[in-house]
Amino acid sequence: MPTMTRAQLFVSCLVDLFRPRAGIAAVQVLERRDIELEVPPGQTCCGQFAYNAGHHREAAAMGRQFVRAFEASGANGSPADPLPLIALSGSCAAMVKIEMPELLERDALRQGRTSATAARWRRRAETLAGRVVEFSEWLDGHDSLTPFDVASPEPAASESLQVVCHTGCHMRRLLGVTEPPLRALRRAGVEPLELIDADQCCGFGGSFGLIEPDISAAMTDAKLAHLATARSEGATCLVSADLGCLMQLGGRLSRRGDQFPTLHLAELVDLADQGRLTAAEIERAAHGQGGNA
Amino acid sequence: MPGVLPPATAPWPERRRRALADPTMRAAVAKTTRNLAQGKASAYASYPPGEAMRVRAVTARRSALAHIDALLEELTGNVEAHGGYVVRAAGPADVGRYVLDIARRRGAERVVKSKSMATEEIALNEQLEAAGLRVRETDLGEYIIQLARERPSHILAPAAHKTRGQIEALFEREAARTGVTPPTCDATPELTAFARRQLREEFLAADVGITGGNFLVAETGTLVLITNEGNGRMTTSLPPVHIAVVGIDKVVATWADLAVLLQQAPLSGTGQLISTYTSFITGPRRPGELDGPEEFHLVLLDNGRHELLGTEYEDVLTCIRCGACLNVCPVFRTIGGQAYGSIYSGPIGVVLTPLLGGLDHAPELPKSACAMCHACRDACPMEIELPRYILKLRRTEIEKSMEPLTVRLTFELWGRLWASPAGYRWTARLARLGQRAFMRKGRLTKAPGLVGGWTATRDSPPVAKETFHEWWRRRKPGSLT
Ligand code: SF4
Repeated sequence: MPTMTRAQLFVSCLVDLFRPRAGIAAVQVLERRDIELEVPPGQTCCGQFAYNAGHHREAAAMGRQFVRAFEASGANGSPADPLPLIALSGSCAAMVKIEMPELLERDALRQGRTSATAARWRRRAETLAGRVVEFSEWLDGHDSLTPFDVASPEPAASESLQVVCHTGCHMRRLLGVTEPPLRALRRAGVEPLELIDADQCCGFGGSFGLIEPDISAAMTDAKLAHLATARSEGATCLVSADLGCLMQLGGRLSRRGDQFPTLHLAELVDLADQGRLTAAEIERAAHGQGGNA
Repeated sequence: MPGVLPPATAPWPERRRRALADPTMRAAVAKTTRNLAQGKASAYASYPPGEAMRVRAVTARRSALAHIDALLEELTGNVEAHGGYVVRAAGPADVGRYVLDIARRRGAERVVKSKSMATEEIALNEQLEAAGLRVRETDLGEYIIQLARERPSHILAPAAHKTRGQIEALFEREAARTGVTPPTCDATPELTAFARRQLREEFLAADVGITGGNFLVAETGTLVLITNEGNGRMTTSLPPVHIAVVGIDKVVATWADLAVLLQQAPLSGTGQLISTYTSFITGPRRPGELDGPEEFHLVLLDNGRHELLGTEYEDVLTCIRCGACLNVCPVFRTIGGQAYGSIYSGPIGVVLTPLLGGLDHAPELPKSACAMCHACRDACPMEIELPRYILKLRRTEIEKSMEPLTVRLTFELWGRLWASPAGYRWTARLARLGQRAFMRKGRLTKAPGLVGGWTATRDSPPVAKETFHEWWRRRKPGSLT
């Protein structure tokens, strides 16, 4: 087993711009597990938002930049040992893994490129797609295998913690990743709770959430009603591996004057790694007072 | 030829407003859909052959479409051989004319109907009533919404949005109008007893019975009807004339194909192993038979269907109208079926409405009635790629410039900027400067342009003082902070 594994980090535009501390937490978590991280500086956005809005020219423009950025510095690894591309968003991972190859090929043809060029774009995107691993999925495959040096969590503090885990729709249905975040939480020593109607959308839905703010919020309110039940049963925070869902749920909570903590999964694992998984620390981390960066 | 659908009852903002402002309807729809979705899950789980049959059913439906013209011909020959009449109708007016001709010839005044989406699609009731016929819906749910003068809120449960109290009030009004005893309370048995008494009279007095059809078996010329209330049987056997109006997409080749299909609608729709009543109708009553109508007419409705064959949307014609996609759709659960402004609601409605009725029919549906959650794709027993179709319709609307110019320009500018790291960083810096005016207590509570849609109902964190990439560049690689 190599001592140092290399990987690329795909932080997503939402984490980069709105919740950098989730990305920072992921860096800490991965480096603690002996990952030598590379963060391609050219990454902007995978184009998912524009793609699902139906604006495929724009999505393809971002998609091509995505491919260039992740190919450039780290190359692709070797076919036998591809360099993992760890994604901090389930739905962006699905965009790259599932939609991007077809999109880039189609858009190249639309631009009047030759079919050989279009096929080349598809292959480049497919190579990247093959390297993408969603964050919790990556942890799932490595946490139990790689010994790492972390402060042991204080069982007394974390044992009773209950955490609600929301898995985004694309992570659930397009990637088929539902168990890894729950297992990551269990390894962190907390009890994951799933809400009633857990598989229902949080209400964000990309462009839908902007075009239809009232329907979107009504959907979120249904979810928050189930969250209220979980809170009355002792849930201390809401965790997701998708920042889009978290911003929707957290943003609606905030609009309703409710400061219930919401955390990206990486932030929670980071706290657990440091043995700081208490309700008070969660509260601080959720409101940006964790002192991580 | 493209088809024609009944126009939306009101513009989208009005329909949306009405739906969101009706908590009773929303609670009822949410409850019904949840129960049906759970029913489906447990039905397949407890009935292992169901899944294997489903896979074969998908093949049967797709191969029927591949041979649809030959199958329709075979079907027609077989119905006629059994003494029935078959006619092809291009659209709503053709059906109306044909039915009215029959009514005139028979001197008919009263029509009973069992539940049928095809006749809703062509607004047949309105056409017949305009010509002076009296039309009575006999499915309990349809009866209720006919009395309420509304449109169905769910393919399977047309009156899912109505409470027992509301139904009692409707029945009391109807009792007063027809001079009969009203229901004594709003208990379900009392309400159904009232409806049954009223409908019995209608069945006995009817001159024509009109039904839809769930499947058509080409090899024998058989119409297959599945219902849960038995009203279908009354409609097809008591009146002297039976007219079935069925979409051409409902044809299957053989009874073997039918055998794998028959259970899919009840399994997926209501979680039943099989519907309470399954009727096979092959022609009118024959000499020596005791039951059945004197005349049997099969109207094969096109209304934009044939045009979809051979296109990338072809599979949408394999829909068996089970309603499973509605039941799992978070938007449907939130606004109910009437808000769609089309007789087809939920994910299948978002796709079928523009495909049958034209993109202009309810152009808001693809972008406004779908959160791209993909739940419908998982739910659909026919494996119809509903989310991909919806996305394709969004693209088509954009290509046809059906979207506001400001939105298009926003996307174009955004796409150009974010296609380069420099442009991306520039927007972050710009947002950091610009957002100050919109912040309250460290949160963004208002925003201009598209993002204003977000802040209309949600707060957002501001763009961070230091983005992740800025942090990464600043940080000495390899050191934990
Ligand atoms: S699209 Fe699929 S799930 Fe929806 S009604 Fe048709 S067959 Fe059922």
